[in-house]
This record gives sequence, structure tokens and C-alpha cells, in this order.
Amino acid sequence: MQEWLIHPVVQGAVVPFLAALIAGLLFAPLRLAGLCLAAGFAAAVYLVVGFQFSPLNTVRKLLLLGLAAPALGVVADLALRPTRAAGPVAAVICGAASIWVFLALLKQKDLAQALIAAGATAAYVGWQVGAVLALRHDSVRAGAAAFALGLGTGVAAVFAASATLGLYALAFGTASSTFLLLQMIGGKRIFAGMTFSLTAGLLAGLIGAAAVYLAELPWTALAVLAAVPLAARIPVPDRWPVWGQVVALSALTLAVAAGSCLLAWQASRGPSG
Amino acid sequence: MKAGVLCAALSSIPLVAAAAPESYTFDPHHTFIHFGVDHNDFSTIWGRFDKSSGKFTIDRQAKTGAVEISVETASLSTGDGVRGDRPRSRDEHLRSVDFFNAAEFPRMVYKASAVKFSGEVPVEVSGQLTLLGVTRPVVLTVDRWRCAAHPVTKRGICGGNAVGSLLRSDFGMKWGIPATGDEVKIRVTFEALKD
Repeated sequence: MQEWLIHPVVQGAVVPFLAALIAGLLFAPLRLAGLCLAAGFAAAVYLVVGFQFSPLNTVRKLLLLGLAAPALGVVADLALRPTRAAGPVAAVICGAASIWVFLALLKQKDLAQALIAAGATAAYVGWQVGAVLALRHDSVRAGAAAFALGLGTGVAAVFAASATLGLYALAFGTASSTFLLLQMIGGKRIFAGMTFSLTAGLLAGLIGAAAVYLAELPWTALAVLAAVPLAARIPVPDRWPVWGQVVALSALTLAVAAGSCLLAWQASRGPSG
Repeated sequence: MKAGVLCAALSSIPLVAAAAPESYTFDPHHTFIHFGVDHNDFSTIWGRFDKSSGKFTIDRQAKTGAVEISVETASLSTGDGVRGDRPRSRDEHLRSVDFFNAAEFPRMVYKASAVKFSGEVPVEVSGQLTLLGVTRPVVLTVDRWRCAAHPVTKRGICGGNAVGSLLRSDFGMKWGIPATGDEVKIRVTFEALKD
């Protein structure tokens, strides 16, 4: 059993998939199927390095926010009834929070470099949060974006020499696939809301940025990943069945994410760092 | 005349007392920290850090000493630094957040102020290693030690080897356990020049 649990495929895909499926089925009646993302991600964290938050280094701050996001999402969906302004406001807050996450690394840079890096990081994280949150009323599009962001960020992070970050991202990508699967099997959309979209956007943003800071992911790969939520907005005929829309939008978003993986792969072809 | 001799004798006392503890600076060209880790229960993979700096003091009469050495984590090498047909080499992976997280923690530091002696020879050093922001005790056994004048420069020099071990999971470095071993063997080979 232990040998199975330490296998990367089990840690980053099999167990997160099962955890997300169970959570999705359990919470769908409460309009909280988006918690499947948190369940899949938490399962991967538990298996890869476990829950430990002291000392609070960059990755642990990332985990903390990644696990706090679904809780905030639940509160927002159930109690606050978020308005149109919720997306931009959340994007700004998450962008600012990303500076706290990467503060230890920013402090090691010259002031000018630190300001540029902080601005770029906040912009990327804020963009991913805002762009995925903008899809929250269409659970197929939000799911397809999260699916591609997870797989794209995960594969790119592995190419960039971080298996840990890669598995975290692959786990939330796999968990997103269960969110899509539930809609395909049920033949109807399920509520995504802030619970799903905030978690997906924040994890995609923070893990992608972490792979640049802590591994060797080129920033150009993030520029391509930033286009994934846009690809999820491409019109598909409403008359198509849900499974058809899922397949089409997933193919589109995955094609864009594959571009990011290609850039990460090409960067890894250069001389050793 | 007597007063002059007495004055000279008295003034030399603090100098003699201060001269007892000797201070040495590690020679970075002859000081390396080697580490060995079990790999899939087949073999022990050895690597080393190429860049380090630090000092130690020793007082053979008082049987005391202190060591401080700072190691640049990005300077590690395990003999696998070329990517070949892989995305990244093992050395690049070891520098990443999965292991030493060299971008966030560019240095690890070992500080010790408890030294056991056998006669005038230090045999065990007990100190604290700070790695990945976590500080834990690490004991090093000195299994080789010699101090003499450098054969060329005639400057005082001490050299030797020290060994120890730690559990990397104690420092939060948990990726790959148990396939890549938790226990890390340490071997320090050093030479230090008298200040």
C-alpha cells in the first residue's frame, strides 16, 4: 500500500481524482460541488509532503492560501451572494496576497527588480483569479479552464524541475476533471460559483508563479497560461449537449496550455543551469 | 629595573591568556561538505557543496571550541549536472523547491560551541544546523585531525575530516521519501588557516 501511495501518478492524479469525485458527489446537492477542487488538492498535499506550516516558507504560504480559498468561496457563495464586482475585487486582493507569498524571494532582489517581479506576480495571480472568476456562472467553461490550467501548470512545472509544484497543479487539474465528469454524466451544468473558481484561479496563479521563482519555469510559459481562461470563452453552440461542450472547451483550453508546456520543454533543452 | 621587568611581566599576562584560543578560517579551496543519500535501496548517491565559508576557534588548554560554517546550497553537485535527454539534471532538481530550495534558502549554516576533546584533539562537535529555515541539532564526529605549519607558507594550518548524519525530514525536506532516503550522511573534509 505504502509503495502505491508514494507513486507520483497516485499522488498527483489517482487519489486526487477519487477524493474530488467523492467530494463532488457529496456536496453537489448543497451547490458546493466546487469543493471537489479543494478535496483533490488537499489529498495531493497530504500525500506529497503533508500539512506543515512552520516555518511559513513560500510553498507553505501558497498551500495556506490554496486551502483558505475554498473556505472563503463557500462563505461568499452561501452568505454574501457575490455581485459583478466580486471578481475584480478578489483579483486585486489575491494579487496583493501573492506579494506576501513571495516576499522572502522578493527581498533577495534589488529594489527595482523586486518591484518589477512583485508587479508581474501580482498581475499574473490577479489575472488568473479575475479571469477564472469571470467564468463562475458557466460551470463548463470554468471547469475546462481549471482543468487545462492544472494540467498545463503541472506539466510545465515538472519540466521546470519541481515535481512538488507539478503534482500540486496536476492534482487540482485532475480534480477539475471530476467537476467536468459530473456534468457530463449528469447531462447538466452544476454550480461552480466562487467556491470552485476562486480556488482554481488562485492555485493556478500561485503555483505558476512559484514554478518561476522556485524552479526554472520561463515567464513566457505563464504568459501562455494566462490565455487559457480566454480560450474557455470561445463560443460553442448552446444546443450541443453538455458532454459535447465539455469536450470542445477542454480541447481548446488544453491546446493553449500545451503551448505553455512546449515553452517549458524548450527552455529545458538549453544548457544546464 | 625590577619595576620595569614586573611591569613587562604583568603586561604580558593578558596577551598570554588571549593567545590560548586560536582562530582559524576555513580554506574554501580545501573545505567541502559531502552528503550521501540512499537511492531506491540500491546505492548511496554522494554529492558535495563546492562553496562554503566559515571559521572555528579552539582552546586546547581550556578544551573549548566553536565552529561556524555557511554553505551555499546552490553550489551542490552530485556528478549529474548535464541534462542530456531529460528536462532537468539531478543537480537542478536538488536545487529546486523539492529539496534544497536554493532560491529561497541560498545558505545553510552550522554553528557549534560544544566540542569534546581527547587530549588536545577535538573528537566531537555538537551544534545546530539551520537548513530550509529550520534549526536542528547535528553532531559531527571528528575522525581525522592534524595541525601543523603549512609546508610552503609556514603558516599555521589545521585539517581533518568529520562525519555525521541527519534526517532531512526533520528540516521539512520530505520530497521522495522513502525512495530517496530520509537519512543523509555527512562528511566534512576541511583545512583551515590560522588567523
